[in-house]
Amino acid sequence: MADKEPAVVDRREDEEAEAEGASAAAGGEEEDTGAQVAPIVRLEEVAVTTGEEDEDVLLDMKAKLYRFDKDGNQWKERGTGTVKLLKHKENGKVRLVMRQAKTLKICANHLVISSTKMQEHAGSDKSCVWHAVDFADGELKEEMFAIRFGSVENCKKFKDLVEEIAESQSKTEDKESEEDSSAAGLLEKLSVSENKSEEAATKEESADAAKETDSKPAATSSE
Amino acid sequence: MALPNQGTVDYPSFKLVIVGDGGTGKTTFVKRHLTGEFEKKYEPTIGVEVHPLDFTTNCGKIRFYCWDTAGQEKFGGLRDGYYIHGQCAIIMFDVTSRLTYKNVPTWHRDLCRVCENIPIVLCGNKVDVKNRQVKAKQVTFHRKKNLQYYEISAKSNYNFEKPFLYLARKLAGDPNLHFVEAVALKPPEVPIDLAMQQQHEAELAAAAAQPLPDDDDDLIE
Repeated sequence: MADKEPAVVDRREDEEAEAEGASAAAGGEEEDTGAQVAPIVRLEEVAVTTGEEDEDVLLDMKAKLYRFDKDGNQWKERGTGTVKLLKHKENGKVRLVMRQAKTLKICANHLVISSTKMQEHAGSDKSCVWHAVDFADGELKEEMFAIRFGSVENCKKFKDLVEEIAESQSKTEDKESEEDSSAAGLLEKLSVSENKSEEAATKEESADAAKETDSKPAATSSE
Repeated sequence: MALPNQGTVDYPSFKLVIVGDGGTGKTTFVKRHLTGEFEKKYEPTIGVEVHPLDFTTNCGKIRFYCWDTAGQEKFGGLRDGYYIHGQCAIIMFDVTSRLTYKNVPTWHRDLCRVCENIPIVLCGNKVDVKNRQVKAKQVTFHRKKNLQYYEISAKSNYNFEKPFLYLARKLAGDPNLHFVEAVALKPPEVPIDLAMQQQHEAELAAAAAQPLPDDDDDLIE
C-alpha cells in the first residue's frame, strides 16, 4: 500500500499517525469521539495515478496561487500548496501543475508555451503574474494567475525557469512548423492526423493559402 | 441527493448537511473548498445552496453534495426538508461567539430528528482569531452526544480537510482512507492567437496593479 503513494511522504506519515491516534483513542485533538455508525458504502482500494508518471520534475516549490476575477476586478485565492514544472519524457513539452495541500486537488494545469510571459506584480517582489489557458477543472479556461512564494529567491527561480522554458519551446515550435511545412505535401497524401501541432497548422494555412482547398479537413479540425 | 440540474456521477456520492448559526462561516468554508477563495464579505445564505465537492481518495473518487443551509432564522426556509436523506453532517459554530456554541444543541436536536445515526462533525471555526470566546477545553458537547470535534479555520486552512476526511472514513467504514493526488490530465494544446495575446497582455498589466488579497505568507513557508 505504502509504495503506491508517490512523493508526498510527510503527509502520508501524518495521516497514518492520525489514523492510529483515532483507532487507539489516544486522547488529544485527533481522538475519535464520534458514535459508531454503520458504513453505507464499501470501497475497494484502487491504484493511485497522478497523471504525472511520464514527466520529470523541473521545479517543485510551495506557493500560493490566485486567479483574477474580472467581474470583481480583484485577485482571489485559488489554492495553497505545491507548484511543479513537469517536462514530458518523450515530447519535451512542459506544463505547470499546482495542487492544493492536504486535499491534493488540482488548482492549475496548463502548458508552458512560447507565448507564456511572466510579469512582475506591482505590490510584491515575491509574486508574478501570467496568462494561461488552464485545464485544472478538465475544461479549457482563460485565466490570469498570480503566484506568491515564501521568498524573493524562490519567485525569481520560478520566473527565470518559466521564461527559459518558454524560449526553448519557441525554438522547438519553430522547428516543428518548418518541418511541417516542408513535409506538407507528403503529409497531405498521408491524410494529416489531428494531433499535429495546431499552431503549426495555422501558420501553414496562411503561408500556403493555395493549398487550403485541398487540406480542408485539417483546416477545419484546427478551427 | 443531487438537485435535478446537477446530474449524477458514476462514483459514490453522499448528501452532507451543513448547519449552524448565521455568520459562523458555513458558506465561506464550502467556497474555500470549491474555488480556493476566502470570502470576507458576509452575505447570508437564503434557504439552501447545494454544491458538489469531489475528493480523490486511495479508494477512488467520492463526492459530497454539500447542502449549505441558511443559519439565520429569518432566511431558514424549509429546514426539515433540507435535512431529509442527509447521510452525514457538519455543525458549525464560531469560537469567537459564545452564543453560536450555545445554540449547537438546538441544531443537533433538529438535525437528529430527521437524520438518525449519521456521522456528524462539530466544527469550531475561526480559530485563527486571537480573541477567542470559546476555548478548546470549554467545548464538551461532542463528548455527550458522540460527535467528532475539529477546530478549524477557513481563513488559514487549519484542519480544513479534516471534517471531510473524517466523514469519508466513517461512511466507508475505512479508518485508513486518505486523500491522494487527483489525476492531472494532459492539457490539450491551444493555438496561439497573436491578436488575443496583445489583449491578454494589456489585461494582465491592469491585473498586476491590483493588490493580492492578503500578505501573510505563513501558509507558504
